[in-house]
Amino acid sequence: MNGPNITWYLGVAGFLFGVGALGVLLRRNPLIVLLSLEIMLNGANLALITFSRHLDNGDGQIFALAVMAVAASEVVVGLGMVVALNRKRVPLDVDRLSSLRG
Amino acid sequence: MVYGSWICLLSPLAAAVVITLAGGRLTRRGAGYLATLSCFVSFGAAVAVFVSLLGRDAEQRSVLSTAWIWITGGTYRSGLAVLIDPLSVMMMLVVSGVGALIVLYSIGYMDGEREERRYFAYMALFVFSMLLLVQGGNLLILLAGWGMVGLSSYLLIGFWHERPSAIAAAKKAFVMNAIGDATFALALFLLIQKAGSVDFGILGGEYTSTVANLVALGLLGGAVAKSAQLPLQTWLPDAMEGPTPVSALIHAATMVTAGVYLIVRTHAIFEQAPKVADLAAGLGAATLLVAGLVALVQVDIKRVIAYSTMSQIGYMFVAVGLGAYANGMFHLMTHAFFKALLFMAAGIVIHALTDEQDIRKMGGLRRLLPRTFIAFAIGAVALVGLPPFAGFFSKDSILADAMDRGAFGYVLWVVGLAGTFLTGLYTFRLLFLVFWGEPSAFVREHFHAPKRDLVGWTMGVPVAVLAVLSVIGGWLQFAPLWHPVETWLQSVAEPVVTPTDWQEGISSALAVLLGLLGIYVAWALYAVKTFAVPRFAFAQRVLEHKFYFDELYDALFYRPTVWLAKALYRGVEDPLIAESSTSLGQDTRDLGGIVARLQTGLLRTYVLAIASGAAVLAIVFIAVK
Amino acid sequence: MIVASVGNVLVWAVWILAAFACLGSGVAVVSFSNPFYSALALIGNLGSLAVLYLLLSAEFVAAAQVLVYAGAVMVMFLFVIAYVDPRLESPWAGGPGWQAIGAVLAAAALLVEIIVVIGLNAGGSLAHSHDVGGSFGSPSYIGRLFLTDHLLAFEITSIVLLVAAIGGVILGSHSRRSEAGVEPL
Repeated sequence: MNGPNITWYLGVAGFLFGVGALGVLLRRNPLIVLLSLEIMLNGANLALITFSRHLDNGDGQIFALAVMAVAASEVVVGLGMVVALNRKRVPLDVDRLSSLRG
Repeated sequence: MVYGSWICLLSPLAAAVVITLAGGRLTRRGAGYLATLSCFVSFGAAVAVFVSLLGRDAEQRSVLSTAWIWITGGTYRSGLAVLIDPLSVMMMLVVSGVGALIVLYSIGYMDGEREERRYFAYMALFVFSMLLLVQGGNLLILLAGWGMVGLSSYLLIGFWHERPSAIAAAKKAFVMNAIGDATFALALFLLIQKAGSVDFGILGGEYTSTVANLVALGLLGGAVAKSAQLPLQTWLPDAMEGPTPVSALIHAATMVTAGVYLIVRTHAIFEQAPKVADLAAGLGAATLLVAGLVALVQVDIKRVIAYSTMSQIGYMFVAVGLGAYANGMFHLMTHAFFKALLFMAAGIVIHALTDEQDIRKMGGLRRLLPRTFIAFAIGAVALVGLPPFAGFFSKDSILADAMDRGAFGYVLWVVGLAGTFLTGLYTFRLLFLVFWGEPSAFVREHFHAPKRDLVGWTMGVPVAVLAVLSVIGGWLQFAPLWHPVETWLQSVAEPVVTPTDWQEGISSALAVLLGLLGIYVAWALYAVKTFAVPRFAFAQRVLEHKFYFDELYDALFYRPTVWLAKALYRGVEDPLIAESSTSLGQDTRDLGGIVARLQTGLLRTYVLAIASGAAVLAIVFIAVK
Repeated sequence: MIVASVGNVLVWAVWILAAFACLGSGVAVVSFSNPFYSALALIGNLGSLAVLYLLLSAEFVAAAQVLVYAGAVMVMFLFVIAYVDPRLESPWAGGPGWQAIGAVLAAAALLVEIIVVIGLNAGGSLAHSHDVGGSFGSPSYIGRLFLTDHLLAFEITSIVLLVAAIGGVILGSHSRRSEAGVEPL
């Protein structure tokens, strides 16, 4: 294979996953949280594609496409919730959305 | 004969069980009749056994009948056994006979009581327990009867359980008896360890002097508690809270004499431990004196008679302590007659004056209750020991036995004679204060004559019978001339002392003289009131406080125990036990609160938890692999 | 089919550019306080990822990434961000302080572990990749796989999409009862 060997790609994928995790845990705006979630998913996708190329096996790419489809669906539902929340004039702050407090 | 013995034992138990189970289906009077009938059946059986025993030779007069063996361990065997021998038959006759008369009397005395059935069930239970005690074929059964008698006493003293004083008296009696039971049990343990059995035969075995002394001491402790001798005597006056027939039966005729019976039954051990036997005699003498002195200042009619009981049992202890077993038992028998008589006559007086017991309010009942007066007088004279009444024959033999003992014996003799004087004094003080002179104001207001119906009959007949027995009962043994009682009991307990006729004569003469002197002094002070009653303030106070025994025990035992209980409650119970159970709930709730803080409701917390968990798991997987 | 015809150097240069763009935009998404800028950064992220996919011979996936992800999903995001109140919040404030530290630690741990796990397990085998055929990653290749080996995944994914669509419609619908403000969401 030309160019960097797959460990470099995997490093990028891991870094993306970590950054996405940080964003999910630390940001307050649910929209940003969803965006960070997308980054995590993309990091996983990159890892999948990398290994698919490494092992000359198309299953990784199939999996990546399925992940993409599911990510899209999840975004639909998540954004629907955000819109509904906004309509109810609920402040869009994950720290304030704690009515399931025990 | 064996059947007779078992019938004698079990008949009152059957009555008690039937009365208990029948409950409300049995009328109150019916319960009384049933109990009385069972006691008379018991007496009849005892007479049958006695007659059949008479027909045998002296050596064949001991029969042990075992119903079943229930404790076996190695070579140790004990079970429910009944012993038929002269001593037990004598006690059976006294207990069932006097018991039957007193239960008959109770029908009249307790007539109209709300809980009459309970009373008769308890009385039947008591008679059964006492018979178990005297008929017991081994020490274990004796102890069982011993304990049950204490229980019945507790139940009957506290019969009127709405009265706090009655409850307190019942508890006091039970606790003090329990002390005796404990020493008795300890003696028993030692015997079992040394002899491997509880049959009466082991008592004659050879023991080291330490063992014999300890066993005898334990047995003496039990006897002293049960018979209300010094130092465990304080419960008997308080026990007068119970109904008068109870006082008559339990605290005069039978239960308190169980101690004397015990010493006679186990005399073999006491003969191996002469110091303890001397201690028994000494305690008896001391009690005799103390009780006689205290009786001089008592104002409750029943308490005077109670102290008199204590004093007479002191005589019995002197007798058995010296080894004159037959004389002790003989005095026990005559004492049962005249003491029960005195109590029952006192009961008639109390009933006639609507439950008043303070003798200072009484007076002049001689004309209003003539027959009762005669009965009481017979009992009083028998108590003092004037011939030809019962007490003379039995008490004076005891004094003579004391003379045969040596220096210690002479001390006992002098004390006994002093006791005779005191007996005359306090008995006739009581008689004169209650019956002599003109009717007092109180009597005029409150007197109502006893009825002449069945109720009155049930009270009158036993009194009459006992009055007759108090006269002729002593004729059973006149020491210098003929002693069938001693011969009868010889196979069981050979007397250790045999006074000469001269000693008998001197003792009798002096005793009678002193008794008459006491009567005269009482006459002078209380009947014709020639002199005023002397008042020595210090002596009066000491006697009224009964030599401060109650206060002493209160300070020695009661207060420290209460203090300890309170300290333990504050120090252990509250902080440790109560707190732990409440803090268990509180701490669980607090822990739950801490855990609940994990449920912040924030999404980020949960995601953080998942992420951290995944991180940790990854480490674990790497490490394991 | 983009082939590195001038050798490794070109591939490396493209890779470096794409990787840095990817990482930078990723950090930017998480950092910006304005969600609009974050969404735009994410579009950039997705684009650079598509380039990386191309370098890995996954042409169909790269095209799907640009069309579906960057094209449809991100547009949806932008619509909603524009619809919702854009409130400038301080991005790093809020929540218990220990959670922030914990988050950083967890993320760092995960990253380190991923590297360690892969490093330990794969070791030398990661150095040499297999050679792939010419049609690897082509639409026909993907299509054949979807319709033969992974038909079930294909069908189920379509059902998931259908359900999500229905869910989106329900969430977005104006029912009179929810307008009255009685029921919570």
